[in-house]
Amino acid sequence: MIPVRCFSCGNVISSVWDEYKKRIQTEDPGKVLDDLGVERYCCRRMLLTHVELVDLLAPYQ
Amino acid sequence: MDIDIIELSERKARFVLSGVSASFANALRRSTLAEVPVLAIDDVNIYDNTSVLFDEQLALRLGLIPLKANAKNYNYPEECSCGGLGCASCQVSLTLSAEGPKIVHAGDMVSTDPDVRPADSSIPIVELKEKHKVVVEAVARLGTGRKHSKWQAGVAGGYKNMPILIIGDCDTCGKCVEVCPRKILKLEGNRVKVTEIIECSLCKLCEKTCDMNAIKVSDDPESFVMTFETSGNITASELAIEAAGSIKKRAGQLVEILETLG
Repeated sequence: MIPVRCFSCGNVISSVWDEYKKRIQTEDPGKVLDDLGVERYCCRRMLLTHVELVDLLAPYQ
Repeated sequence: MDIDIIELSERKARFVLSGVSASFANALRRSTLAEVPVLAIDDVNIYDNTSVLFDEQLALRLGLIPLKANAKNYNYPEECSCGGLGCASCQVSLTLSAEGPKIVHAGDMVSTDPDVRPADSSIPIVELKEKHKVVVEAVARLGTGRKHSKWQAGVAGGYKNMPILIIGDCDTCGKCVEVCPRKILKLEGNRVKVTEIIECSLCKLCEKTCDMNAIKVSDDPESFVMTFETSGNITASELAIEAAGSIKKRAGQLVEILETLG
């Protein structure tokens, strides 16, 4: 799951995750982040580098 | 002391604070981070959790969700008349029950106080697959960022000295305009003009590239460009007022202590 807040500055970044995930299918991630108002590079790396593992782990519950 | 507001929205504030010392500006910054009380989930009773997240992880995620509320309606648990046992004036309970397959969002939490709700309803808490179930009751309490970052009202607070850029005799070669990373210099006729002095990062690249030593970059030691954001629990203007109020209150307490000594 995407972390709720940015590790460095503490700003909430997960609130834009659903929209970000949907829009990067067709758009450039950097532009999407600009558009969603994720300004600082600490917050941007949270979304850019996130790997969703839920689907991978779910069968082992 | 003088305040000049550059930008003020619900979650972000940027202003020029002049006529104060650096220690005062820093006190205000620290106060926004650590001294402003807000509500956050502090205790979680987990009745059922068959999701991919461990109980601890689920509780941590719940705690980090910013709660929008009027903090003045609540007391600190340690200062409450109930003696910290927990009553309606020092805690709020939020319940969450969901069954998969679905993504549980912060907006799915049901609060006992209608005034207390997550600041962002679109925060994903956990993704539930087929047959996964989550039933939890969370208790939110008042606290400050000093105790845990989940109670931190202000985020990304900072300040810099007000930049001063003086352009003297110049041959309009335009090198400084090209080199400026913030693009605040502009050629206008036979002069170099500064457009947005506040945006200057004091990198002094323009000063170094100028062959004629015509540019002088310095800063005003008594004037600060302050920026801070909130995570949504209170508005940026409320945060500034509360932070300044906290400094005033603590300074008052110090005076009282000093008076008893003298």
